[in-house]
Amino acid sequence: MSASALTRRMEIKMATRRAFLAGLAAASLPRVSWAEVGSPACLAAGKLGDEFVLHGLTAAGESLFEIGLPARGHAAAAHPTQALAVAFARRPGTFALVLDCLTGAVRYRLTPPEGRQFNGHGAFSVDGALLMTSEVVAEGSAGRIGLWETAGFTRIGEWYSGGIGPHDIRRLSDGRIVVANGGIQTDPGDRTKLNIDTMRPNLTLLSAEGAVLDQVELAEELHQNSIRHLALHGDGVAFAMQWEGDKTETMAQLGLWVPGSAPVLCPPPDAQAFAMKGYAGSIAVARSGDLIALTSAPAGVVMLFDGAGQWLATDPRADVSGAAAVGDGLRLTDGQGGVWSYGREGLASLSRNATAWDNHLIALS
Amino acid sequence: MLLRAFLLSLCLATPALADFEQTLSDHILPGYAAFAASTQALSDAAAKDCKADGLKPAFNAAYDAWVGVQHLRFGPAEADGLSVAIAFWPDPKGSGAKSQRALLLGDPAQLTPEHFPDQSVAARGLTGLERLLYPTEALPADPCALIQATTLDLARMAKIINDNWINTYSKTVLTAGDVGNTTFQTRPEVRQTLFTQVVAALEFDKDQRLGRPLGTFDKPHPERAEAVASGRGLRNTLISLQSLRAMVVTMTPDTPLTLAGFDRAIKLANALNDPTFAGVATAQGRLKVEILQQAISALVDTVVGELGPELDVGVGFNAADGD
Repeated sequence: MSASALTRRMEIKMATRRAFLAGLAAASLPRVSWAEVGSPACLAAGKLGDEFVLHGLTAAGESLFEIGLPARGHAAAAHPTQALAVAFARRPGTFALVLDCLTGAVRYRLTPPEGRQFNGHGAFSVDGALLMTSEVVAEGSAGRIGLWETAGFTRIGEWYSGGIGPHDIRRLSDGRIVVANGGIQTDPGDRTKLNIDTMRPNLTLLSAEGAVLDQVELAEELHQNSIRHLALHGDGVAFAMQWEGDKTETMAQLGLWVPGSAPVLCPPPDAQAFAMKGYAGSIAVARSGDLIALTSAPAGVVMLFDGAGQWLATDPRADVSGAAAVGDGLRLTDGQGGVWSYGREGLASLSRNATAWDNHLIALS
Repeated sequence: MLLRAFLLSLCLATPALADFEQTLSDHILPGYAAFAASTQALSDAAAKDCKADGLKPAFNAAYDAWVGVQHLRFGPAEADGLSVAIAFWPDPKGSGAKSQRALLLGDPAQLTPEHFPDQSVAARGLTGLERLLYPTEALPADPCALIQATTLDLARMAKIINDNWINTYSKTVLTAGDVGNTTFQTRPEVRQTLFTQVVAALEFDKDQRLGRPLGTFDKPHPERAEAVASGRGLRNTLISLQSLRAMVVTMTPDTPLTLAGFDRAIKLANALNDPTFAGVATAQGRLKVEILQQAISALVDTVVGELGPELDVGVGFNAADGD
């Protein structure tokens, strides 16, 4: 057994033990369910004036609660049962906040260990006992999945993410985890990209215990297509990419991956090849699995694909970015405060808030 | 009562401030009308005589008119990918030439008005027509029928866009903020859309029209310039800058730095004696194109810094930077 595998196994063992002890200690804390805060359908970070906030939204786009954030948020993770949201700072992130969605109180403030930075996304384990955060080693951007028990939200270990610059992570229904290792090494002090010529993004499948089960890269000529965001789709994921190469080349922004097989890229027809400006910000797959939405704020459009990745439509909407599966359909948010339902009929306005919605809309499962 | 009358008269006495209503009436609608008229003239001319040399003036007039509205990447021109089919460039994989060759050698039924609109966007439009009127090598078959089909298709697409602006989309713009208008939920959204078009079009001029032939210092790519065969690369850049300047004037009367930035870039483009950017292969010629590119780059900053705040809009919250 290699040293790193041994370390990993020890980390997991410790994680389990500590989580158990902490769980005992916290058993008496009040637990608020999502129903008690109005059963929000999704969470969205945003900006109101000079203030940054996190909202819980209904399926109809109405705000149920609003909680202040100390700085611009990127994405959030929702606890599967308790009304707890973890708001992640934009990368390179120095904080994540565990928010009580009933009172708005900051229950815990998560700080990455020395030399680590949050990278914008996270996910809970099936039972909610474990929070996994996408992180990088500040120097060099090697990927880590930070592990936090959720009774007291203390750090209990970390896994290797399988690549450089992990961004989105998703938990499959069976507990395995897919990581989008974007491949981009960034300056620890800012967001400067340092390795565009040599970047190599990948998709990595981890077991619920953090072992690398599968990993795929794109073809050599696509090594500058950064895999950044994920949505669960059937037995695998749909993934969204951002092209870091020559702007005059056309690259797919959508791909589908079922672990155990090769990733399939889904370019739109020629007429639509430049419509996204090479950039996909958010991705969502409808619960039925038959619709996929991909947003591009720089292009001000959202693209709709069927479940097999066939292009269906491109719809304009200024600064559209957040996308999530809600109920039977899809929801989008934009930087003007709009919440939209989206599907084969195009966009339909649900609400308009004074808050400018930020990058992501996170569905509660 | 008297006061109200006085205030009303003040309002009436104030000269109309430029806003998107003026952009619509003075820039967008006339621009698409000119494009529709010029493509109709081109199609009529091709129907009478499809010889390439005779069609070149009408082709160039239609291309000029297109570049005059090409920056309006919203509304009817974006429906069904029409703008892409009108001018498919850049085409790094050469798909247009390949598809067109198949059309020249294939079943003539593909060229009928019923079927031609279904052919590859890369093979159609002005960029397709350019390859037929200014062939760089011998064409594999008589192009007459394809020239006629392409010009007819161009006139068809231009008419769709023009008609839709006149009959439908003008109302969508003018009713911005009204209940039920899902395209523009507020009036500032129209201003933001127009502002975004200006920024995006300048970036297209800088990154594509100039950036593609410039390539890198060690590896310039003059062959990647736009419309090399018809010698329109610089002309398209110049018309784009002029059209964008004219559009900005309709949006607001008060952006002196932006207009000065346009004037500087237009002056440099006018002085650049390099219609196809072939000069990028030489150190001296490259420098001149780079100077123009830098002027447009500076202009983008000025537009974002002056025109945006003047209109009280900016590049979108999410669009401004990546994740």
